[in-house]
Amino acid sequence: MPTVRLRDASEYPEPVQKLFEAAKAWFKYDFEQPPAMSRVMAWDPELGAFHGRAMKRAMGPGEWSRAEKEMVAAVVSGVNACAY
Amino acid sequence: MADDALWYEAALLVGLTNALNVVADSPLETLEPVRPDAPAQAVFAEIRAFYDCAEVPVAFRRVAADPGYLADLWGATRRVFADNRLTRRHKEALAFAVSVTTRSPFGTTFHLGEMRRLGVGERGVMEVLGVTQMFSSYTKIADTLQLEPDMDGIAAEDRSPAPGGAPPPPRTRSPEAP
Repeated sequence: MPTVRLRDASEYPEPVQKLFEAAKAWFKYDFEQPPAMSRVMAWDPELGAFHGRAMKRAMGPGEWSRAEKEMVAAVVSGVNACAY
Repeated sequence: MADDALWYEAALLVGLTNALNVVADSPLETLEPVRPDAPAQAVFAEIRAFYDCAEVPVAFRRVAADPGYLADLWGATRRVFADNRLTRRHKEALAFAVSVTTRSPFGTTFHLGEMRRLGVGERGVMEVLGVTQMFSSYTKIADTLQLEPDMDGIAAEDRSPAPGGAPPPPRTRSPEAP
């Protein structure tokens, strides 16, 4: 169980709602609520914006495809024993 | 990447990468035979050819005192790193990410070298490093807050059988399901 109360998307200010929409587009999936990680990163939009841009820069297609990079992300998460 | 076969391959690669790294990064220099015997030399020749290198990676030299074990370890390594459903180039990128994440000096150096040898450019290396770093951040944030998985619905379940096996039994609905 999370150690903090994850806020409902509706509890975030209007500019953050746009970030949630962007997250939905990024994952191409219609979440009932934005993923918990999106809501955590949106807690500090300034940090979240930098972090999110760095992530998108890293994950976007380049020499590797997005799918290939998702697998890199998955193995890093697995090695870190992160269930999320 | 919806096909489970790709993920099985990736997971097996993670395991072998870690297995090689733990031996290579441990203070086990004294285990390396000064003059490996003929069976070990034969395996070494295969390893040199696979990696197109003059020197056998330390992870293999350290187990060469048991040529049978060396041969099996090499067989597993060659199988897991060879082109299959995932390309060898992509596998080296995954092994590099695993090695950076586990702070393996041997693995990081070795797989970075292999990525470059197989044609990955500096941009490609930076992309893998960026993904590794960003997800080393996300995973620790998630763990600190003990976030529970909430994105498992994104990918469809792969219902194909194990290689050469029978199809899975049809799903049965639980009695309470509507």
